[in-house]
Amino acid sequence: MTFFDKLKKVFMGKRHRRQVPFVLLFKTFQGLLEKNNKILDSIAAMGDKLGGDYVFDKNYIISSCEEMSDLVYKLIYDLDTITPNKYLDLYDAFQRINHEIQEELAGRAVIAQADYVIPFETISRDFGDVVGNKIANLAEVNNILGLPAPEGFAITTTAFKAFMEYNKIWQRVREEPLTAEASEELRALIDQGSLPPDLKRALQKSTEQLQLRAGDKKLFLAVRSSAWGEDSIHTFAGQFKSCLNQPVENLVASYKEVIGSTYSSSAIEYRASKGISEDEVVMAVGCQRTIDAKVSGVLYTLDPTTPEREVMVINAVWGLGAPLVSGQVPGDRYLLNRTPPHEIEGLSVRHKLSMLSPKEGGGTEERSVPEELQMKPCLEREEMLRLAEIALVIERYFKKPQDIEWALDETNQFIILQTRPLNLKTQMASLVCNLTESVQEHSVIFRGKGHIAQRGIGAGKVVIVRDDEDMDDFPAGAILVGKYTSPRLAKVVPRASGIVTDVGSPTGHMATIAREFRVPTIVDVGEATKILRPGQEITVDAEENVVYDGRVKELCYYEFTEEPFEESYEYRLISRVLKKIAPLNLLNPRDKNFAPGACKTFHDITRFVHEKAVEELLDLEFHERNMGEPAKKLKLSVPLGLVVIDMGSGLQESAEGSEVEPDQVVSLPLKATLDGMMTPGMWSTEPVSVDLGSFMSSLTRTFSSSLATPKYLGQNLAMISKEYMNLSLRLGYHFNIIDAYISDKVNDNYAYFRFLGGVTDLQRRSRRARLLAELLEAHDFRVDVRGDLVVGRIKKLDPARMVRKMKTLGNLVAFTRQLDVTMVSDAEVESSKEAFERLMARAIPESK
Amino acid sequence: MSENRKTQILILDDEPIVWRRLKPALEKAGYEVEAFTLSSKAMKRVQEKDFDIVVTDLKMEGIDGMQFLSEVKSRSPKTEVIVITGFATMETAKESFQKGVFDFVAKPFKRGELLEIVKKAEAKVRQ
Repeated sequence: MTFFDKLKKVFMGKRHRRQVPFVLLFKTFQGLLEKNNKILDSIAAMGDKLGGDYVFDKNYIISSCEEMSDLVYKLIYDLDTITPNKYLDLYDAFQRINHEIQEELAGRAVIAQADYVIPFETISRDFGDVVGNKIANLAEVNNILGLPAPEGFAITTTAFKAFMEYNKIWQRVREEPLTAEASEELRALIDQGSLPPDLKRALQKSTEQLQLRAGDKKLFLAVRSSAWGEDSIHTFAGQFKSCLNQPVENLVASYKEVIGSTYSSSAIEYRASKGISEDEVVMAVGCQRTIDAKVSGVLYTLDPTTPEREVMVINAVWGLGAPLVSGQVPGDRYLLNRTPPHEIEGLSVRHKLSMLSPKEGGGTEERSVPEELQMKPCLEREEMLRLAEIALVIERYFKKPQDIEWALDETNQFIILQTRPLNLKTQMASLVCNLTESVQEHSVIFRGKGHIAQRGIGAGKVVIVRDDEDMDDFPAGAILVGKYTSPRLAKVVPRASGIVTDVGSPTGHMATIAREFRVPTIVDVGEATKILRPGQEITVDAEENVVYDGRVKELCYYEFTEEPFEESYEYRLISRVLKKIAPLNLLNPRDKNFAPGACKTFHDITRFVHEKAVEELLDLEFHERNMGEPAKKLKLSVPLGLVVIDMGSGLQESAEGSEVEPDQVVSLPLKATLDGMMTPGMWSTEPVSVDLGSFMSSLTRTFSSSLATPKYLGQNLAMISKEYMNLSLRLGYHFNIIDAYISDKVNDNYAYFRFLGGVTDLQRRSRRARLLAELLEAHDFRVDVRGDLVVGRIKKLDPARMVRKMKTLGNLVAFTRQLDVTMVSDAEVESSKEAFERLMARAIPESK
Repeated sequence: MSENRKTQILILDDEPIVWRRLKPALEKAGYEVEAFTLSSKAMKRVQEKDFDIVVTDLKMEGIDGMQFLSEVKSRSPKTEVIVITGFATMETAKESFQKGVFDFVAKPFKRGELLEIVKKAEAKVRQ
């Protein structure tokens, strides 16, 4: 029995609910809020580390996880003090998530190691060990970059090991150092071997699924090697067998043929020469649907023979690419400038007599090329351009020049068959030897302004994107310069070679997308849209946070020589543990899935605990139970159902019964906040017109048509004393916490404002977040924006000024409570800001 | 020291990721950088060559950072030492400063921050 089970049993043993003294309850609630804030801050702080600005090591990841897990555990414990035995399942959720994090930290990736077959669409580069790097890379090209790649599945290294065990071939491999002579024997053993029954079943299921998607068309597969370590440290180029265009009936035979090639004499010799142990050799196999290729070929994003010319090389043949890849035929050769518009720098069209084609019924056959095609270039200029752009998207993502196998199918679509890094370390070294000097030759436009959201280096022409402009004609490879990090810009991110924005946060939504595509991004630069000119060539160095005038070639190449940060163990580890920590899945408290069992991350648990703690304190029955503590309803002229709990001298002594008038409030912070809320004009009572878009996005959250009904606004609580206020507001689906203390001890005075969530789509929510942030900043608050979470802090002002700040917060709450519904465009942010300042100036001219 | 010579920096951290991320940043800024994972190897190197600036972790297997920096300072008092550590306490900070350390940086830090400190240390060395 684990510690948690024991704990659970202890609690479950008591059938009756504990009575919690109110003082303890309040202290616990305060502690809970404090932990809640700490957890959210530390989630954000861990997320910041993905940007690439920070240097951190494994110890940091481990200690952050420890700290976080400790806080979350104590948070659950706090809730259990407030609501005894009510949410014990939270301990299970905690234990489950914490265990997953521990497994990640211990290096036991929580990939189903036992899977024999994995469909391409569920593979990421973390699967490298089980599916081989070749397949893992290609899967990312498709799943993340959205570029077409063949459908199919991987037969994992686990399956390979199972096969070798099942047929007792391992023993033979391990018996003695392998000689080339052993090759034939091993290949025969593999050929005679049979598939373990589980593997057989898994293969059958996967091919059936693939057949379903193929419809009536008969399914043919390319069965290709993806050995462990292939395409990373050692290339093993061309040493392993591929079986092309195989009917499903041949899959098992082809599989055995491909894994048999692991022990080809050349592969054995290669390993011996490189000192690779035979024990390390495991082979995954990719099964891809055959592509009806019109044209196939290979593209190098940088010509390895003359890298200083900065050209890419395309080799192309008619039909399938195998003869080209194996070097049997030379094919056409096109040299294209790497920089858009990719001028042709060299064109050699070969006389192409024969081509390889899929044979009807399976396999391949050589055919003669029709006469009119023999001297014709395989690719049109337009096709070369398209291919060049695709290739650079891949290169930018992997941050190394790439060797890409591609095919052009019958529908004129480019399909990526394989991509791997070109190893150009030595060539690169000569290109970057004058790095310091050449960097100094370029003038610096910005340095150290803003924050790095995604590291890397990108050069290109400036394209300033205004918000509502159509972004379809954004040129590939340009630098996207915008005022805001709007999620709307997301769709051009993959085409940009760099991003610079005036405002924004490195943990915002667009930063997340920039990271996903690894586009170098600097946000919050200030006046990028004013200083940078459209068409100007710049280099964004999002490593050192510098923007240079012109194209600093050496910097771009220098990056190729570096191990990309994203490939580092530490980066991958922190992004994996963050998946168990940061995403928020529990959004709607009215949803039936809003339950401990549905918590997938620490953020989910935190959110759940906060919600339930506030709910419990709002429950009037609960207050009776707890010695009839004074919870009173505040009578307000605006529809804000606010329950007040007086902790001491927060209300006039005359306040009796279950309702209280605003003028009976003594608590300084609450009084000021209420004043602010009641400022004429601030609390808009006009019916809100909800447009279709936001209506649709709220349907899933059981959105009631009017935000203004009191019934809807019931969940609000103020805990007060003479000097203190903790206000938890839920207006619609927004969460607002204001915590403040005001007394004559100026050093103790503070106000803390936290705002999260909303009913409309992310874009509008982030507009509202921006509006709030700008307004808070304009009123001297220290502001932190992370996505649509806004935190404002101010402290150590004298009481009179504190009171004014509280009024401002009251104004803000009233003014912004339904703004996201109207935030249909960025222009609304500016006009809303002006409207707010106008209202404020009218109401409290003395504060100016 | 001559104006033309590049400033020589040694980085020692038993977590390779730390110097892997620092070295390129410093090289791009025009410094000449040698980096070490093992403190014993770094120790050997500082006995062969005086560096202008040494950036070192504190908590390491074998020779720890405090020992290492003491050795650096006693062999070459002009060398400025910058301590980077994930276990920053008041005591270690105090001890480091008593040993004449130029600055003390808690991990994780931003690369730009360390670059700034290196620049200041360089200015002091070049005085």
